[in-house]
Amino acid sequence: MRRRLILLLLPVAALLSVSAGFVYVQWSKGGPGSGLYSRYWSPDPVQGYWDPDNFYRSPDSVSGVFDGKLCVQCHEGITPGIVADWRASRHARGDNPVYCSNCHGSDHQQLHMPTPLVCANCHEKQHDAFLDEARYGFPSHVLAMERAVDAPHFADKPKAEVQSCVQCHSVATKCDSCHTRHRFDAAEARRSEACITCHSGPPHPDDETYFASAHGQLYLAEGKNWDWSKPLIKGNYRAPTCAYCHMDGGRHQVAHKSLWKFGLREINPHTSQNSVLRRRWIDLCSDCHEERQATQWLTELDGERKAAWHKLYQAETMLKKLRSDDLIRPSADERPDYPMGSLWPRERIGFFEGQASAFYNVSAIERDYFEMWYFDSLGAYKSAAHGDAAGVREGHRKMAASLDRIESRAGRLRQLAKTAKENELSPDLSGLWSSGAYTDHNREHN
Amino acid sequence: MQAVSAGRLASLIFLLGMLVMPATPAWAAAPATEGPYTDKECTGCHTERDPELTRQLRSSRHGPESGLGCTSCHGDRHSAAVIKARQNSTCSGCHEGPASHSYATSKHGVISTLELTEQDWRKPLEGGNYRTPGCSYCHLHDGNHGDTMALEHGPELRHWICAGCHSPRYVREQFANAKRQLEIADLKLEEGSALIATISDGKSDAMSELGRSLQHHRKNVLYGVGHQSPDYQWWLGQPALDSDLIRIREAIGRSIFRKAPGEEQ
Repeated sequence: MRRRLILLLLPVAALLSVSAGFVYVQWSKGGPGSGLYSRYWSPDPVQGYWDPDNFYRSPDSVSGVFDGKLCVQCHEGITPGIVADWRASRHARGDNPVYCSNCHGSDHQQLHMPTPLVCANCHEKQHDAFLDEARYGFPSHVLAMERAVDAPHFADKPKAEVQSCVQCHSVATKCDSCHTRHRFDAAEARRSEACITCHSGPPHPDDETYFASAHGQLYLAEGKNWDWSKPLIKGNYRAPTCAYCHMDGGRHQVAHKSLWKFGLREINPHTSQNSVLRRRWIDLCSDCHEERQATQWLTELDGERKAAWHKLYQAETMLKKLRSDDLIRPSADERPDYPMGSLWPRERIGFFEGQASAFYNVSAIERDYFEMWYFDSLGAYKSAAHGDAAGVREGHRKMAASLDRIESRAGRLRQLAKTAKENELSPDLSGLWSSGAYTDHNREHN
Repeated sequence: MQAVSAGRLASLIFLLGMLVMPATPAWAAAPATEGPYTDKECTGCHTERDPELTRQLRSSRHGPESGLGCTSCHGDRHSAAVIKARQNSTCSGCHEGPASHSYATSKHGVISTLELTEQDWRKPLEGGNYRTPGCSYCHLHDGNHGDTMALEHGPELRHWICAGCHSPRYVREQFANAKRQLEIADLKLEEGSALIATISDGKSDAMSELGRSLQHHRKNVLYGVGHQSPDYQWWLGQPALDSDLIRIREAIGRSIFRKAPGEEQ
């Protein structure tokens, strides 16, 4: 009887907890910010331009309802640059131009910033492909904004500071990251430079590694003379650009072949799903190269990643050992109480523990590992994937140096703890980490 | 009959010419030849023609004490002078490193690179003439030879320049955010400098290096917001400052420990 009751109650309890979880997630998204931590933050005013759907407020400076031609007439004097741009665009051509009002609305006090959904009114196929990317999970363009605001550091840091993040992560919320306003040119987005505003810098040196490769060198030397109105298909370009490989055939998503997931975590490259992705790469490279050659390059990339993860895991093991021996100083509960850190004070070590936020408010050894994982390893990965052999060597040299640094720092921490114990020392370092001009400001203004 | 008319026309032109002549300065009578010109020759003619221009240049950071002259940016030939000085490559010859890299990877810089040959560089540096601003469009706007983005010109001019393409509210919000980002970077700089000042070996090589690193990363934030480069604002800016603070604290922690009684020096 009792057993039957338990069997009956179990599914009910499961159902209740799933619905409670669902309600909690919905509740957590109901704050002034957006995403899972929306109740912890309010946006900086400028965020309305990066995430218009959530935060844009229409201007109240001018009232009235205007026909497209009138918009152009007035703005010719007010903002001549964008009108000139629009005039040179495809939108202005033909008998039935796409006017300002078609995308922004015509009531000046109800104006909106065009989101991908607005562009989808005409560019449905591209928009569908863009949305479809979500099924491949992170990292992706379409999920980029959620990724940004759901990171603990977005809630933790002053909102003016983390506006830098959403400038790139707005690739999910606007189309002009690649098709710059108000020309919205497909040809511009086909060029490699169109991607480098975001795909550059220490964690993703896509620009440097591509430009250093044979493909990039050809592009730099001859690209300006190629016909960029041609679609991204076999035979149209002498060397591939970012878009040729990652958005082949003009497909508006980049995760379709994403095998190593940005190099952020280790994957098994030989699952059946990954064999499908690998096949897609080989087919694409075969536009110009022999299939055998393409297969070989991908195997080399697997080898590079295996070597990288071997080094990364060595560092991770050292850090986790220090953590279990309680030797990381300052430990998580000795640090200033950032909102997300105080939820569960624990040192974040490794991808699945939220390593991506372990770059501030951490001890030196954790920051060392963050740089090894996010800068050195990803630099090597991007070099390997883009065919920049010197970059691979440099990345692995840096990883080895980081590993040495982490090892000697770990040794020092152990030595210090030992000396302290033998001599019964306990120098007071509590004030050192918990106050300062920025730390105090952040406590009040995050 | 025709000969008479031609003669009359010639005398009319001569008479008109005589009337105009006294009102016109010497340079108009003799259109400039191709050159080459020296800096002194340029200034000689152009100061007479546009004294304000020379004044602007003299009081700017490109003034006489910089060792630069007109030909440094304009070259020494007349026909290409304006186009040469307006193009980014001329500025990046000296302003290399983060200053030009932060711009080159920004959307403005990218478009400028891609449309270098399509852009008509003969057009004056005014709203509506350029798809995207090059260095000169913002810093020498409307041909002003002082730096039009320099702080001493006040925010109105900077806002006006950007508002040639962007809505006034967008410009206002961007500048306000830039100011806040810089204030945050300054707080980190202040925090780091104060920490360094607390210890006796604050002037050691390692500590001086960390102090310089703070300054360097704070400047990256400035380049980032000024040139609208997310990467300079972020990975090369704010989190790099966070790293400086971590490393300063770690070094101080070690030095405190070393000084604790019983610990060997």
